[in-house]
Amino acid sequence: MATTTQPFHHVNTMTGTKYARLIEDPAEYAHLIKRAARPLLIVGARCLTMSLEGKSVLEYAVDIAKAAGAPICATAHTQKPLIDMGVTPECNYDIIEILNYLKDENWQGVRGEGNHDLVMFLGLRTDLGEQGLSTLKHFAPHLKTMTLCKYYYPHASYSLANFRKDAKWKEFLDAIIDDLKKEA
Amino acid sequence: MAVQAEKKAKKHTRKDDVNEIIRADDKWEPVGHTPMPEIPDLRNWDMRLMKQYKPFYAPMCDMCCFCTYGKCDLTGDKKGACGINISAQQARVVLLACCMGMSAHGGHGRHVLHYLIEKHGRDYPINMGDQVAIEAPHIRTVMGLKPENLGDLEKAIEYVESQLIHLISSLHTGQEGSALDYESKALHASMLDHVAMEVCDIAEITGFGYPTSVAETPLVDMGWGSVDKTKPLILLVGHNPVTAIPIVDYINEHGLADKIEVGGICCTALEVTRYSDKAKIIGPLSKQLYFVRSGLADVIVIDEQCIRTDIPEQASKVGSALIATCDKACHGLEDCKNKEADEIVKEMVEGKHALIFDPEKAAEVAVKTALELAPKRKKELITAEQVPELAKDHKLCNLCSQVCPNLLPVGDAVEAAKNGDLTLLAEVFAKCLGCGKCEQECPRNVPIISMMQAVAGNETWKVRAGRGPVMDSEIRKVGAPLVLGTIPGIIAIVGCSNFPEEIEEVAEIAEEFAKRKYIVVLTGCSAMAAGMTKDKDGKTIYEKYPPQFDAGGVINIGSCVSNSHITGAAMKVANIFATLPLRGNYEVIADYIVNRVGACGLAWGAMSQKAASIATGCNRLGIPVVLGPHSSKYRRLFMSKKENDDWTVMDGREKQLVDTGEPSPEHLITVVESKERAMITMAKLCIRKNDTPQGRQLKLTHYIGLHKKFMGTLPDDLHLYIRKTSDIPIFFKKEIMPYLEQVGWKEKPVLTLPTWIGTYPSDVPLDAVVH
Repeated sequence: MATTTQPFHHVNTMTGTKYARLIEDPAEYAHLIKRAARPLLIVGARCLTMSLEGKSVLEYAVDIAKAAGAPICATAHTQKPLIDMGVTPECNYDIIEILNYLKDENWQGVRGEGNHDLVMFLGLRTDLGEQGLSTLKHFAPHLKTMTLCKYYYPHASYSLANFRKDAKWKEFLDAIIDDLKKEA
Repeated sequence: MAVQAEKKAKKHTRKDDVNEIIRADDKWEPVGHTPMPEIPDLRNWDMRLMKQYKPFYAPMCDMCCFCTYGKCDLTGDKKGACGINISAQQARVVLLACCMGMSAHGGHGRHVLHYLIEKHGRDYPINMGDQVAIEAPHIRTVMGLKPENLGDLEKAIEYVESQLIHLISSLHTGQEGSALDYESKALHASMLDHVAMEVCDIAEITGFGYPTSVAETPLVDMGWGSVDKTKPLILLVGHNPVTAIPIVDYINEHGLADKIEVGGICCTALEVTRYSDKAKIIGPLSKQLYFVRSGLADVIVIDEQCIRTDIPEQASKVGSALIATCDKACHGLEDCKNKEADEIVKEMVEGKHALIFDPEKAAEVAVKTALELAPKRKKELITAEQVPELAKDHKLCNLCSQVCPNLLPVGDAVEAAKNGDLTLLAEVFAKCLGCGKCEQECPRNVPIISMMQAVAGNETWKVRAGRGPVMDSEIRKVGAPLVLGTIPGIIAIVGCSNFPEEIEEVAEIAEEFAKRKYIVVLTGCSAMAAGMTKDKDGKTIYEKYPPQFDAGGVINIGSCVSNSHITGAAMKVANIFATLPLRGNYEVIADYIVNRVGACGLAWGAMSQKAASIATGCNRLGIPVVLGPHSSKYRRLFMSKKENDDWTVMDGREKQLVDTGEPSPEHLITVVESKERAMITMAKLCIRKNDTPQGRQLKLTHYIGLHKKFMGTLPDDLHLYIRKTSDIPIFFKKEIMPYLEQVGWKEKPVLTLPTWIGTYPSDVPLDAVVH
């Protein structure tokens, strides 16, 4: 039985019947990522302005992508800071553009190996992210979506809970990375 | 006899009516294929547009709640009880929004015309000045009518109204079932919106004598600090100047100009400052609640659109008197038509609000009430020292942050303010949309909006007054450079002020393009916001850049309804430079614009249904629009998939289909997340197939320059926009050549005359676009 909660930002209050499955165990999250054949990580602009105990969320994005073997799609203006970190993202689209490709089942993905089966989101505005997830929920039944942000996203397939404290969110992300590395 | 009469009556067709309305016998231009089009008449054009730019949906709601079959869950591939699917339902809601937007402008136009025709008569001639001969490009192009007087403008509004009934009808349960057809109707409604807006602005220029045929309009004062707080203040809120103008007249006629202040919020401010440069612009829509709650206004006069719907309550809280003046926004107030002005003034001074439809009476009441009420009121803004006391009950429950539509950390800001640190509160104010939900949600009744008075500052700015239409003489000068590409494009920054980040972003974007010698035009709240940044010398962009419609110009066109002059300018390029007839010739003109006029809109803070219809109207005309992140909630975009799509067009002179492989313009309407991405996207969306090598070099210089600045690399789709090596900007050539080799670039065909005519079913012959 899927568990749900209310999104932190009320603009994202769900008006529908199909909610994201809330997952509170990082091991389960990591397992879902590992199970994916062609995961993709979408990095949003808020990764540039958030940090967790001195480590930028952009660094977390890179760590997760590396541990998961997932290509990065740099949205907004995240490409340059990624390059400055020594990471060249596999693609550079804004969020709506990558969604437009993802909803096409026949698209070959950023690596040309077929469309992605799991799309992870980190660092988008919650309203824009939720709208984008709505697009995929309705029009991309061929893939699953997962959010890594500290808020609950009802339109995702899998979401974290609302973390009242950043330390808990950090703990969760660190645990996912550790889990992903274990079996890498 | 009766049978003969019936036969005769049957022979009278709609075409006869149309010919009569547009005076088809007047031969100023031949009548094109679609004078006064009905819903199906431009449907094939719409389908061609949507073949290139497919609707992209992001549902806000998974349900349909329109009828009593429901609620119906439309998630994924589920259908409603009536059979509708999620795509069609989204398109249906888009059409509803566009009808609302178009109706708002149409209603505004109808009201203005009603007032002016009563005052001047239907035969009152349109006068747009000596530099504007093409007075109404939309009415000419869509209807086929060359309007001469107010009565002709009324015909335009009647036509718009007649279409609206069919459009709204299609929203009913069990009518349209196709998303594409709903979108076609939304495009139709929005095309008509530009007609309605044009009616509004021409009527106001004609009837109120706004400046026209002039670029250098006065610089007017803006900001909440611009009003003299020692004087009575009348605050105007809304869009329709029918009462605002008589207020200014009453003040002047009674020698009160130095004794009373008039300021406005939202588009009425832009309207009234076109009429009187003594009036002040308080600020954009997002500052409405803040300013009303400051209590500085003695009398608030509201007209229509974008007014807070709880404004009587907000006014009462601070002891301001309120006059509603428009039938669209009566707010439950008593209609004062049978009361004398002085009796109403007496009641208002005692705390009652009023509904007064007669503009002259409302003006008299507003001025007299302000003069009488002001000395009785205390106007003291909350100071920084008072804030900790006001916030003393605050607990960091974050309910305020949770309801903020701009996702701001309001709770943290109030918590810091409680402890005497107002830095974060000032940051929140800079990004605040002014909805007041934070305050409403607070279980401890902390007056968050009022506290913002302590951090709002008292700065004032200079904004150039709106100037109305682009002059024909200006189009003559820039037409060729725009079409050839040597002026890289027209950047239109328009729409509401629900910006995702700081309000200063708008000025930054405008200045970036002005420096790069694009033509930058602005309207509405965005035109105000662009003036709210000063450089190190204390100058705003309106003081730094020329007001001419030319490369590097920064032009405040006017209010929301003045948006019709921006799209109208693109139409005028087709007419004046390319000599294409406008009359009833919508497809030809739109085809010209999409293929040859580099223009791109930006609605960075679009909020309203009017913004939806304005943008969708641009889209039918082939003008791409970039939206800020909030606008993903409009539910629908028109997107391509670059090289994965078919970019075949007709070469009009060679009469051959050509697969260009060039995604220009790439999208028709899209959302981006950050200002950096917005600037890059806008530069790219100004690329057109008609660009000369010199023009393409220039456009690519800006696209590449912005991409390198914000992304650190060459664009990864650059090869798609280089047709021959002569398109490569010399400055970047050394860097681009190895890139082209790496991606296996090959030369592409260059067209003599790119057109979509001939690529879809249309009555328009190919020869119609060859000029």
